[in-house]
Amino acid sequence: MSGPGVVFPRSGPAVMADDGDALTFCSTCAFSQACMSEGMDKAALMDLHVLVEHVGPLHPGEHVFREGDPFGAIAAVRAGTVKTYQVDRNGHEQVLGFHLPGEVIGLNAIHDDRYPCNAVALDTVMLCRFSFPKIALLAQRLPNLQQHLFRLMSRDIGVASLFARDNTADERMAAFLIGLSRRLAARGFSPRRFQLTMSRTDIANYLRLAPETVSRVLRRFEQDGLVHIKLRDVEVLDMQRLEALALAVLRD
Amino acid sequence: MASLSSLFDPELLRRYDVPGPRYTSYPTAPQFTPGFGEADLRAVAAASNGDPIPRPISLYLHVPFCTSPCFYCGCNRIITRDKARGTAYLTRLYREIGMASELFDRDRDVEQVHFGGGTPNFLDPLQIAEVMDVLRRHFHFAPGARMDCSIELDPRFITPAEVGELAAAGFNRASLGVQDFDPAVQEAVNRVQGVAQTLGIIDACRAHGFRSVNVDLIYGLPKQTLEGFERTLDITLQARPDRLAIYGYAHLPSIFRPQQRIRAEDLPSPEQKLDLLRLAIEKLGQAGYEYIGMDHFALPTDELARAQREGGLHRNFMGYTTHAESDLVGLGVSAISHIGASFSQNPRDIGGWEQAIDEGRLPVWRGMRMDEDDVIRADVIQQLMCHGRLDYDALGRRHVIDFRRYFADALARLEPLQADGLVELGEAGLQATSRGRLLLRIIAMCFDRYLTAAGGSAPLYSRTV
Repeated sequence: MSGPGVVFPRSGPAVMADDGDALTFCSTCAFSQACMSEGMDKAALMDLHVLVEHVGPLHPGEHVFREGDPFGAIAAVRAGTVKTYQVDRNGHEQVLGFHLPGEVIGLNAIHDDRYPCNAVALDTVMLCRFSFPKIALLAQRLPNLQQHLFRLMSRDIGVASLFARDNTADERMAAFLIGLSRRLAARGFSPRRFQLTMSRTDIANYLRLAPETVSRVLRRFEQDGLVHIKLRDVEVLDMQRLEALALAVLRD
Repeated sequence: MASLSSLFDPELLRRYDVPGPRYTSYPTAPQFTPGFGEADLRAVAAASNGDPIPRPISLYLHVPFCTSPCFYCGCNRIITRDKARGTAYLTRLYREIGMASELFDRDRDVEQVHFGGGTPNFLDPLQIAEVMDVLRRHFHFAPGARMDCSIELDPRFITPAEVGELAAAGFNRASLGVQDFDPAVQEAVNRVQGVAQTLGIIDACRAHGFRSVNVDLIYGLPKQTLEGFERTLDITLQARPDRLAIYGYAHLPSIFRPQQRIRAEDLPSPEQKLDLLRLAIEKLGQAGYEYIGMDHFALPTDELARAQREGGLHRNFMGYTTHAESDLVGLGVSAISHIGASFSQNPRDIGGWEQAIDEGRLPVWRGMRMDEDDVIRADVIQQLMCHGRLDYDALGRRHVIDFRRYFADALARLEPLQADGLVELGEAGLQATSRGRLLLRIIAMCFDRYLTAAGGSAPLYSRTV
């Protein structure tokens, strides 16, 4: 076996807890950190937990919300991958991001009270839905939760701007893989082996590359011994060199 | 590699002469269901375009027509002398090619084209060249060096000059049906084929730069004798085809109607059949051929033999191949496609196929999506059929399983086979013995979930040897 953890998007006891009860949140939940890190007493946890509604499973192609829908809730991904995207005036799709277990979607709707983008399940997706008005109210009582919300929001903005810079195709691809690897590792999945649940076209769109370029770059990565790819399965063989390549984009 | 003579163990071959799948696929065709339809085919094709590095494409084209019936044949074919049927068939085939090509992204190279049948050269070379033109218009062919373009030929219905026309159309491999040169056998199976005629076609393939020529022989045919078959082998080996297939004739007249015209009393006994196989193996060994697997042998210089030595051999519906996994698109009546983790098959009856095309539908009759377990077992069986061994760690790593635990039941089923000397079970893997290599199917069957679920062997499969 290479590295610890379960190969995303499979589920295992380490990464996908039971549905949780009043006191035990799903370990994949975006808020688990905020709850468990410090100071949240049982009563507060109970308060937070009653706000949560488990949604799913959603099947590939099913939408979580569509652009223009009235905003009422944010959602944390528990299992699977959610793609967010917009469609421009000419009908062209723009992929905004891929949301993995533990990550939150819908934050960018807070400002307008409407979802500014579409969110669609790429594979079998499970969600925790949080009513936003209620969580905002609760956040006033719980400084930790408020902080966490702010952190999530700022991270969301950071992700969106990642590939706007002037980087080579190789650097963008490396950054994309390293980004996935780190995010999955943070949730207990294997950082070295994972499945690309998004299509080549989606990756290309997100990285602002042509689909053929995505394949060409990955084929070269394979020849150079950086990764091994079979169908959707990725195995990172040389994390160090891949990280070095990604540095130009990630800068940390 | 061990010498060919060590392959042959009559006692083992007798004991394990049971029906079993040939594993050109796993799961095998009987597992396909009509629940898999056109929408599923479109979905799996779209998903295959979404792979980060989409696989290259292999095309299989089925030409179902034969001018005259060979009595041993178990293939799906239509006997006719009416050439107009070929023309009508092509009109629809072109529509299917058009529809199928739209399923795949433009940057996906075709690396392999194979014409099978029936008798592909029921069509004349001009027609075959036209099919190639249509394919080239709809698909992007890989550069010549990577491109394998093969055709099954009946030497009775093609001239050396026409082989030149096929070469000009892009063909660089051919497989010739011979079966047996003995006139008594040829008469009993309704396939009279001259030696000079056959050798002339082999020469023509060489002269026109074909990369390899395969010859099919069959043992166990009516009226076959050791003397006659030895002469067939001598003539064949003198021509030194790059590849040889030695098939065992399976007499199943209740399933394959043409076989009802073979008289059971003309068939060699099981003992004689084994002697014929022994003779073929000895002769091929003396001539320097290597055993590839199943019924296939090749010269050490041939790509298949080299690929086997280097661990790069694969197996699909077209048999053994050097091409790494590709998405296989089957076109024409009864053709099977294997795209991503799915199988789909076109209607076996020409009427059903024609109707679908005429209605503008992709002709899907049945198929299946493989689950995770199917994918793992398919890999295991592929390794066995191609290389005769399994590396538990490599397989476990590839599929993120504990191989020995996952396959505890299969490994238990293999123990009697080990006691019989077919296979050696080690700590890190298993290896077919040289005597077990002719019986790879038997070893593979231990890993077949559908056979063990059925509680035994299915009666519809032909015998193992």
